[in-house]
Amino acid sequence: MSVISVSNLSKYYQVHEKEPGLLGSVKSLFYRRYYDVKAVDDISFEVEEGELVGFIGPNGAGKTTTLKCLSGLLYPTNGKVSVLGFTPYKREYKFLKQISLVMGQKNQLWWDLPAIDSFILNKEIYDIEDKQFNQTLEDLSLLLDIKDILQIQVKKLSLGQRMKCELIAALIHTPKVLFLDEPTIGLDVVMQKKLRDFIKQYNQKYKATILLTSHYMRDVEQLCKRIIVIDKGKILYDGLLSDIVKRYSRYKLLSVELSEQVDRKDLEKLGEIKEYNFPTVTISVVREKSSNIAAKLLENFPVEDINIEDPQIEDIIRRVFSTKANI
Amino acid sequence: MKKYFLVAKNTWDEMLTYRLNFTMWRLRGIISLVSIYFLWLAVIPNNGSVFGYNRSLILTYILGSSLVNSIIVSSRSYIIGDEINQGNLSNFLIRPINYLMYWFAKDLGDKAMNILFSIFELLILFLILRPPFFLQTNISYLIPFFISIFLALFLNFFFNLLLGFIGFWSPEVWAPRFIFFMIESFLAGAYFPLDILPKPIFAVFQLLPFGYSLYFPLKVYLGQLSLTQIYFGLLISIVWVFGLLLIAQFVWTKGLKVYTAWGK
Repeated sequence: MSVISVSNLSKYYQVHEKEPGLLGSVKSLFYRRYYDVKAVDDISFEVEEGELVGFIGPNGAGKTTTLKCLSGLLYPTNGKVSVLGFTPYKREYKFLKQISLVMGQKNQLWWDLPAIDSFILNKEIYDIEDKQFNQTLEDLSLLLDIKDILQIQVKKLSLGQRMKCELIAALIHTPKVLFLDEPTIGLDVVMQKKLRDFIKQYNQKYKATILLTSHYMRDVEQLCKRIIVIDKGKILYDGLLSDIVKRYSRYKLLSVELSEQVDRKDLEKLGEIKEYNFPTVTISVVREKSSNIAAKLLENFPVEDINIEDPQIEDIIRRVFSTKANI
Repeated sequence: MKKYFLVAKNTWDEMLTYRLNFTMWRLRGIISLVSIYFLWLAVIPNNGSVFGYNRSLILTYILGSSLVNSIIVSSRSYIIGDEINQGNLSNFLIRPINYLMYWFAKDLGDKAMNILFSIFELLILFLILRPPFFLQTNISYLIPFFISIFLALFLNFFFNLLLGFIGFWSPEVWAPRFIFFMIESFLAGAYFPLDILPKPIFAVFQLLPFGYSLYFPLKVYLGQLSLTQIYFGLLISIVWVFGLLLIAQFVWTKGLKVYTAWGK
């Protein structure tokens, strides 16, 4: 049985429009026109135990709303959601004890107290036994490398340190299902990498099921085998990351280092030249023929070095959004 | 239960990190108390009385209302409305903790500290000013007095909660709160004892919950009510406490359905 099962989930928000300016504000005091915004519109998917799935989509695509429905923060407008066999919005303690939601921009730590005080409070909230608590705290602070800052007031920590502490607070009860909403937002490149490594390790060590949203394609690329692409509340793609590359990019890029000048026309016979800037040439070739053409290149041209690359994942995703084909 | 105890304890720690803030807060209380005290001292001649209250009774009422106030005012949970608006509520909804109990515990933690200081300050004022204070020694008044304060504490918490829940439907939680507390202070008898009002008005006030947070406990303390009146008053308080509890729970469930967890 799947850990997470979503069928025909919809979530509409009611908002009212306001005309710009003071007059508009006054008008809206007396008369408001409401309309529905379809944040999530009839989506279905399943996630198996131990999977690490990436949610991709532009701002306002419905990623966060979906996570909020899954963690029980929001009542779905329509459809059925089941996580670990529970109905999230009923918010049974048995359910809440097994999940966690980390929002990059929300904090649960007590601002004026050292992080450890918040952890101890969570220990009581989640009914964790002393031994297990100490073990998990030890493990997590080792993984994140923050043993020495647990006694410092949260407000005096740097953003990166605070983010790590937030993570520990969210994971101290070793949840089986973890929802991560933009976990790396606002962090520098080094911290982003550390956090990614940590998420991967947590996934393996605790066999946790993880759903993750991120703006940074790197996060998704390095963590998730499977991705769900969502836009305007609809799922555009659900499947392996490697498949989306195959499906949406029928071309590969050959980047070649030449040792001598070559006639451009000779190269054009092989494929479309994206860039020719001696000594580097980038040629776009049909995916299936890429190794053939690479062999030809090596045979017939003065090649120093050759690389066969997939197009940037960003480009592929952009193509998914622009074609809007449902697969 | 231990989790709520820890919440209260953390609240203590939190208050102690802002020592200056806390000292100023206490000082503000003392100053306003002393000024009201001298005002009434000047208004009532030594052996005179106003509205049937002699000097020592009215002074006891005023000083007593300050102490009782520090016990019953929900000094923390006023943030609930903002928390809902800013989406911070989400942090609680995803953890196995009762949000209402959480805030009650925070209030209690805050109160414990404030009560401690109130008693200390009042003792000092007492020694310096030597006011003609009325000391109730009769246990059959003191017990209902403490019960009524206990109930008043819940009444105030629920008022506060319901005002905070406005946040589910509107971002404007401060204006209603402000007006409510202006009116509530009056209806609770914070400015003067309610029984100096015309009889018909007073009769209506007796059925409202507000008077039971200040006026009623103090009247019990002063020993000016008959046993029947005391039991009647306690009964009405209890009915209101449970009534407000039910209303709060109802509004809470309704609110969660429309909660949008804004602010990302």
